[in-house]
Amino acid sequence: MDKAVATLDKGTTCSSWNYCGQRLATGSTDGTLSIFDSPDPSSSSFTCNLKTKVHAGAILKVVWVPPEFGDAVACICSDGSLLLWEEIVEDAQPLQWKLCKSFESTSTQVLDVQFGVSSTSLKLVAAYSDGHVKVYELLDPLILKNWQLQAEFQNAIDSVTMFRKASCISASISWNPQKGENQGSSFVLGFNSDTPQLNSSKVWEFDEAHNRWLPVAELALPEDRSDEVYAVAWALNIGRPYEVIAVATQKGIAIWHVGANPELDGRLSVEKVALLSGHGGEVWQMEWDMSGTTLATTGSDGMVRLWQSNLNGVWDEQAAFQPTA
Amino acid sequence: MSGENQGGAIVPYSEEAKKPVVYPLRHGLKPPISRLGISWSRGNSLRVTVFRQPSEDSENEVGGKAVEVRLDGRDGEISDAQWRRIAYGSVSPFALLQSRKNSFASLSKISSTTSPFDAEWWEYVLEYSKDISSLLGNQTSTTQSLIEDPKEVLKDPEPSNLKAAWELMESFYADKLSQAWLPERLVDWLADYDSLFSSTQETVHSKLVDFQKDLVSLQVIEDEPKYWEVMSSALAVGWLDIVVKLLRLHGSYQLDQLGNRETENGLVEAVAVLISKMPRMRPELEAGKLGECFKAKPDFMKAWEKWRAQIAKLECSTFWIQCAHRQTQEGLRNMLQIMLGNTNNLCTLTCHWMELYIAHFLYIRPFTVGLESMYGLAQKCIQLKPMAASHRLMGLLIGILGENIEVVLAECSKGFGPWMVTHAIEVLTAGSHQADTLLHEERDNLGGISMEELHRLVYAQVLSSHPLTWQIAPIYLTSCIKQGMGLLEMLLYKQPVDHNQLLLKNLEICRLYELDSVSSNIMKIAGMYNWKHGKKGSGVYWLQQARDEARLNRIAQQMFDSVGRSISDENFRQWEGLIQLLGSEPKTAGGLEFLHNYRDFKKSLLQIRDGKTTDAARQAVESLISLMKNPCTPQRFWLPLLHDSLKLLNWEERPLLNVLQTNLLLNKLQELSIARLRPDFIEADLPPHALSSVRLALATNLGRTTLEEQ
Repeated sequence: MDKAVATLDKGTTCSSWNYCGQRLATGSTDGTLSIFDSPDPSSSSFTCNLKTKVHAGAILKVVWVPPEFGDAVACICSDGSLLLWEEIVEDAQPLQWKLCKSFESTSTQVLDVQFGVSSTSLKLVAAYSDGHVKVYELLDPLILKNWQLQAEFQNAIDSVTMFRKASCISASISWNPQKGENQGSSFVLGFNSDTPQLNSSKVWEFDEAHNRWLPVAELALPEDRSDEVYAVAWALNIGRPYEVIAVATQKGIAIWHVGANPELDGRLSVEKVALLSGHGGEVWQMEWDMSGTTLATTGSDGMVRLWQSNLNGVWDEQAAFQPTA
Repeated sequence: MSGENQGGAIVPYSEEAKKPVVYPLRHGLKPPISRLGISWSRGNSLRVTVFRQPSEDSENEVGGKAVEVRLDGRDGEISDAQWRRIAYGSVSPFALLQSRKNSFASLSKISSTTSPFDAEWWEYVLEYSKDISSLLGNQTSTTQSLIEDPKEVLKDPEPSNLKAAWELMESFYADKLSQAWLPERLVDWLADYDSLFSSTQETVHSKLVDFQKDLVSLQVIEDEPKYWEVMSSALAVGWLDIVVKLLRLHGSYQLDQLGNRETENGLVEAVAVLISKMPRMRPELEAGKLGECFKAKPDFMKAWEKWRAQIAKLECSTFWIQCAHRQTQEGLRNMLQIMLGNTNNLCTLTCHWMELYIAHFLYIRPFTVGLESMYGLAQKCIQLKPMAASHRLMGLLIGILGENIEVVLAECSKGFGPWMVTHAIEVLTAGSHQADTLLHEERDNLGGISMEELHRLVYAQVLSSHPLTWQIAPIYLTSCIKQGMGLLEMLLYKQPVDHNQLLLKNLEICRLYELDSVSSNIMKIAGMYNWKHGKKGSGVYWLQQARDEARLNRIAQQMFDSVGRSISDENFRQWEGLIQLLGSEPKTAGGLEFLHNYRDFKKSLLQIRDGKTTDAARQAVESLISLMKNPCTPQRFWLPLLHDSLKLLNWEERPLLNVLQTNLLLNKLQELSIARLRPDFIEADLPPHALSSVRLALATNLGRTTLEEQ
C-alpha cells in the first residue's frame, strides 16, 4: 500500500509538492533548495535534479507559486526573510533557478506565506511574528519581481486597537481554494501567539468596492477565542452549499461550516460541527483531499490520521498511519 | 451486525466505526524521526514526507523519505493490471446503462405512468450485470468433470471473491427470472465458489481436493472410509454429478467382479440412478449436471414425493441383507439418509453453515420460498455450524437475505472497495425500491448529494490516483449531477501541462464536457510554462488560445521594449520571428496588432539606413502615422516611436509630413506632456532630452511644410 517515491538529503527540514504532484521542492538546514522530478508523468519515482543554495541560514518552509505564474517557490528562511526563486530560461542562457524577489524584514520574521489566485492577479499573504499580516499583489503576471503591498493589518476583529508587543511562534494561512472567474479573494488565518486577540482564526475577505480586507467570520467559540491556533485548512468545495474549514488548537481539530452568503451585518454564519481529538499535542499540518471530504492531519504524536464525516454528519477518524522503519 | 452502526460507514478504510485501523507506514529510515509532512496527490493517494533528525556522526546518511500511500481499499486478490482491465472494461456497460436510464427518464416525463422500474428496464440491468460479470473471470464450474480422466472429479479454476459477490447480487437483484428458484441459484453458487472458503477452514471442496490426490493410489476404493465420507458430503451439498461419477468407480462395476457382486452392484447403481433422478425446482440445468427439472411447483411437489417414496422403498428393501461388503452397505444407506433429509447426517457431513444451508434447501425444506424464510433458515444454520472465521462474502449474503440494503452497501464497500459499490448500485437500485430510495435521497450531511453520487465520486477519485486510469474518471464524474463537474475541474487542473500529449488529451476532455474556463486556465498554465522555459513561440500560442489579454499585452510590451532598444540589435530578428508567429488576428490582443505595425515601421526605418531612401522614408511615415492614430498603441510607446522617427522628421531633402500629420503628432505630444504629470505614468527608457528634441523636430517640420504648402 505504501511506496517510497523520493529519498531526501541529510538536513532536509521541509518539503512541498507542486500543483500536479509531479515536482517536489525541499529545503534544508544549510539553506539548500532541492527540486525533485520524475522522468515521465506516469512514473512515481522522483530524483533530485537540482540543488541550489538560496540562503546562508536554514530554510523553514517551501511553498509553490501557483502554476499560472510559472515554476517558482517561496522559501521562508530562518532569519525571517522570504525569498522567491524561479525556474526560468533567460535570453540564451540555459534553464536555471534564479532569485526573483526577496522580501526582507529587519525586526520581524515571516511565519507563513500562501498564494491566492484571483481572476486577474496573484496575491501573497504573509503572516509575521509581530502579529501583522501583509497582502502583496503581483503587478506584472509575467515577472515575479514586482510586488505591491496592498494591505497590512492585524488578525483581530477590532481593527482599531493595535497590539504592539505581540510575539508569535507560528501562524497558519489557508486561502479559499475555489477557482473561477467570479470568485472573490478570501483566506483564513490563525496565530499561535501570546496575544489572545490575535490567535483565533478569522476569515478575511477582500472588499473590492472599498479596496480593503475585512474579517467576515471568527472560527472560535467565545470561550475558545484565546486558544493558540496550530493549523488551519480550507476545504475544496466541489458543490456544497457551505464552506468547510478545519482549525487545530490544543483542544483538538474543529470542523467548521461557514455559510456562503453574508448575513445582514456582513458576517458569514458559522457552525462548529465537530471537535476531533487524536494527536494529543500540537498539530503540524492539515490537508484536505481533492473532493474536500477527507481531512489528513499530522502532529506531535508522529501519526498521520484521516478524518471523514459519515452519513449522519458525524465526524470520525477513519484510519491512522504509524510510521515504522 | 446492526444497520445503524455499519450503514453509516462510507469509506473503505475502516473496519469499525469507533476504532480506526492503524496501518504501518514503512519508510525504512533509522530513528529518530523529527517531523512528518503530508500532501494529497492526484485522486486519493496521500504523500507523506518523513524527516529524520540529523545526527552528527555519519556523513552520507539519508535525511528523509517521501512515501506514497494508496487509499483505494483494494486487496491483493487482483493484480494491478487485472484491476485496470476491469476498470476499463466496466466503462462501456456503465455508460450504456446511464444513457438508457436517461432516455427512460425522458420517456417517463412524457407519459407519467412509465417508471424506469417497469417493463423491460430490468432486462437492461441484467444485460449490464452480465457484461460486468464477464469481466470478473470466465464462467467456470468447479464441479464439472473431465471426460478424459475418469478419476479426475474436480477441475481447478481460480474463482475470485469479486465475481462471487457480483453473482450473488445479480441473482438477488438483477435477474427477476431467478426469483422463483433462488435456493437452486445458491446451490449453483456454492458449487462454484465453495473453494473460496477453503483458505480459512475445511470445506466440502477441500475434502474433495484432498481425496482426489489419494484417488490414484487407491486399489480397492470401496474399502476406504474416506471414499464414502467424501461422497456423502458432496451429495449433501448437491454436487450430484461428482457423486455419481465417484459411485461408478466402485469395484463392483469391474467386469471380473460383476458376477460375484451382482446384488451389491445393483444397490450401488440403484442409488446412483436415484441421485441422478433427483427432482429440482428450476427451469434448466447446465449440460452434464444431474437431476430432473420442474418449472411449476405442483409438478415438482408431485415428483418430489414420488422420489422420496422410491428412496424410502429402497431403504426398506431386503437386498441390503444380501450385500456382503459392509462399507458399501453402510455407505449407501448413509447416502439414502441424506436424501431422506436426516438432520444429524447433514450436519456432520457439511463443514460450514453455508453448506448446511444448501443441504437444508436440497433435502429438508425444498419448498422454501421468500427471503424472510430464507433468512430465518440461514440464522438457524449459522447457529448450528458457524464459520471458523468471518468472511466478506458471508457478510454480504446475510445482508442480502436480511433485506438490509445499508448492510449490503457497507459490506460491498468494506469488503470489495469503491469499484464494486459504484457498479453494484445499478443492480441494487433496479432490484429494490428500498435501495432506490436510500441511494437517491439527497442528504444535507453529504453536502446535498445522494449516496449514489458519493460512491461514484469516491470511485472517480480512486481512478484519478493512477496515471493509467484517470482518463476514465470523467465518465463517472459526469454521471454525478451535483458535484461531479466540480471534481472533474479539480482533476483536470491537477494534470501536468509539460507533456504535450497529456496536455492535448486534457484539453480534449475539457472540450467534450464544455469546460471552457478550465481549458483556458490549463492553456494559461501551459503558456506560462513554455514562455518561462524558453519556448516563447508556444508560450504565446497557448496564451492566445487562452485569450489571456493581460499576459499577451505584457508580452507585447516586453517585445516592444526589446525591439525598441535598437533596430540593428540581433534581438530584433529574434522577436520578428515571434511577431510573425502571432499572426494578425485582431481579436486575440490589441497589443499584438500594434506590434505588427511596429515591425513594419521598423523595417522601413532599417531600409532607410541601408540606403534606400525617399520611398522607404515615405512608407515609414505612413506606418508612423497609422501607429499614432491607432488607439491600440499604448501611450507609453508614443515618445519612443517619435524619438525613433527623428530622422524622418528632420528629413533633409524635403519635409515628409504634411501640416495635418504634423499637427496630429504635436497634439499627441501635448497629450503626453499632460499624462506625465500623473503618478502612474511609466517613463520610457530614453535620453532626457528626447521630448524636447522631438518637439523641436516637429516644430521645424511644421514650419517647413507650411512654407511648402503655401
